[in-house]
Amino acid sequence: MASTRLNVPGLDGRCAGASRAAATLALGGADLASLAGGSPVASEFPLPAVQDLDRFENNVQELVKPEHGTTTLGFIFRDGVIIAVDSRASQGSYVSSQTVKKVIEINPYLVGTMAGGAADCAFWQRNLGMQCRMFELKNKKRITVCAASKMLANTMYSYKGMGLSMGSMIGGWDPSGPAIYYVDSDGQRTKGTIFSVGSGSLYAYGVLDQGYKWDMDVDTAVELGQRAIYHAQFRDAVSGGTCSVYHITKDGWTKIRGNNHYDMHYQYYPGGHPTAANDVI
Amino acid sequence: MSWSPYDLNGGTCIAIGGEGYCIVAASTRLSTGFSILTADKSMILPVNSKCLIASAGFDGDRSQLHKVLTFRSENYEHFHKKPMSCPAMAQMLGNTLYYKRFFPYYTFNLCAGLDDQGLGCVYTYDAIGSHERVGYSCQGSGKDLVQPVLDNQLKAPSILELPPKVAVTSLSKDEAIETVKIAFSAASERDIYTGDAVEIFVMTPEHGVQKEILPLRRD
Amino acid sequence: MFMTRNEYDRGVNCFSPEGRIFQVEYAIEAIKLGTTAIGIRTSEGVVLAVEKRLTSTLLVPSSVEKIMEIDDHLGCATSGLTSDARTLVAHARVECQNHRFTYNEAFPVESCTQSICDLSLKFGEDGDEDAGGMSRPFGVALLMAGWDPVEGPGLYHTDPSGTYINCEAKAIGSAAEVAQSTLKEQYKPGMTFKEAEKLAVQTLKQVMEEKITSTNVDIASVKPNFRLYATEEVEEIIKTLDASS
Repeated sequence: MASTRLNVPGLDGRCAGASRAAATLALGGADLASLAGGSPVASEFPLPAVQDLDRFENNVQELVKPEHGTTTLGFIFRDGVIIAVDSRASQGSYVSSQTVKKVIEINPYLVGTMAGGAADCAFWQRNLGMQCRMFELKNKKRITVCAASKMLANTMYSYKGMGLSMGSMIGGWDPSGPAIYYVDSDGQRTKGTIFSVGSGSLYAYGVLDQGYKWDMDVDTAVELGQRAIYHAQFRDAVSGGTCSVYHITKDGWTKIRGNNHYDMHYQYYPGGHPTAANDVI
Repeated sequence: MSWSPYDLNGGTCIAIGGEGYCIVAASTRLSTGFSILTADKSMILPVNSKCLIASAGFDGDRSQLHKVLTFRSENYEHFHKKPMSCPAMAQMLGNTLYYKRFFPYYTFNLCAGLDDQGLGCVYTYDAIGSHERVGYSCQGSGKDLVQPVLDNQLKAPSILELPPKVAVTSLSKDEAIETVKIAFSAASERDIYTGDAVEIFVMTPEHGVQKEILPLRRD
Repeated sequence: MFMTRNEYDRGVNCFSPEGRIFQVEYAIEAIKLGTTAIGIRTSEGVVLAVEKRLTSTLLVPSSVEKIMEIDDHLGCATSGLTSDARTLVAHARVECQNHRFTYNEAFPVESCTQSICDLSLKFGEDGDEDAGGMSRPFGVALLMAGWDPVEGPGLYHTDPSGTYINCEAKAIGSAAEVAQSTLKEQYKPGMTFKEAEKLAVQTLKQVMEEKITSTNVDIASVKPNFRLYATEEVEEIIKTLDASS
């Protein structure tokens, strides 16, 4: 009794009450709903009265152009976890912001990164933050990275096919040590040591894989993260702005870098980048 | 043709937040296609004493959204016995937009006011609730023309930089108002959806909200 | 008329001819069987102190929870049926998180108290259990201690009737009357937090049947964050009492 509902569906493992979403889950979801001890949730996310929802959502996507585009990366090394991100958001070809905060601080020991739809990432990771806090209050201990990422993956899975777009790394430190999980809007969830997500991830991987060593010291690791983001910003049109680098240790996360793209450019190539030279051969 | 519940009614809005002031301005022309429906339609909602919301995009969704926000703001005030602060309103607006994730309000919003320190704050949104606190922003049909000019005139260091730098525009209130006026008269020259007049709301801790109307090109 | 009091004390949805709802009054009686809890508000913060009745030496003291955290800036001390308290606290926690999620700010202390009282009042209602209502009133009183971003420190007392009162110092539970009169005598408006902390524990010591130890009391503060004291800290405070009395 008295199971008070948080005002967002999916929180207790239930699917969206929205009729269509519920219908897709109703097959396997009936048990879930009864497990959670709840009657069907009134629709929190109203749907348009159309036959072809997919087409409608695609048209809407085209029309409202939600913010997207990113390079994010994360890796584990000897002295903890490094998370590095750019800060550009685009709506189509328009740069809608150069100052997006793509690291979402879930709690002092846990961060999530943002790639894909900015609203989808921000909303559901805030939602995850709330779930983690409830876990903490109930169990009197911090949630593990494993459990937190699983909760996010479950939420994503319950909206599968609805057109959400999120590619996220959940990084943190728990009693079992450092961890990074990749979670996306398809419901995919993978544990790993090196990840890069977003449109600029291929460029970032190139730098990251070339420079990565388990035994790096913190300065080298931070520098590697920043360098990888810088080069992704350089080659990927929808990545740019400021590069933020976070370091996570057993004492939680600290932001240790926040550098403008210009400053990094003249730091790495004081005489100008060779590929940007004007000489015609 | 498939069912389309949206229209695009044009119009531009600008918000600037500075030290001890905040400005929200929006053009008053309402158009559909190449027709001007009215020259006198406000896109700005003064929600309470601390917060203003300007919305460009589809006017039908704008009017519904403004109704919802007014309702929630009044409810909040009754329940918590204080007006909703601008940062609180900003989060609530973001969530309100996101709850319509699968059937969005076709609106592009700015939420601006003064925070608890009396500092101007501006939040800028996409249609489904992604938002960010900024020093100034522009939305609507003239944004491609206006935003680069604002960047040139007002740009302050990013709040993401370390060590942290002051990320508030150094412009005084009067300079900022002048910039807004210039931006609108410039936009009305080249954007067919911006014209007729611009409403300018200025909020300061001393004088509350003051409104001014500047006529623009009417053709 | 043949009506006696007994005919009106069964249902929660029926007033007696004298205008009373007995089940609510009985629920308030239930709190008088509960352990004593004390809260004092000062300008520096709020202190909560409760007695834990450890009926057996085989009990794990930390498992007897009389002070619970609701959010960073909010906690409460309970007296009465612990299980009912947990339901109310679970509700309050969710409300706090919802408020943070919606408005990105801490839930005001009075609003949280109000939302607990709203639930307390939902007894005897028909309809779906999801709303949180019970068939009987909650047999528990709470001392809500919090730090409001606007108002500063706050201390509220709630009872099964869904009434709440803003207090400077309040005692609830079996020894409430004695403790309240001590508080009335010794509470001073300009008290420091340290003094209030001492007064709360001193008063508790005075009304407890058992000897006060670091295991049979819990102390917590909200200034401005909620914190439950560790055993050693409780020990320290008890030591200062022994020295002075």
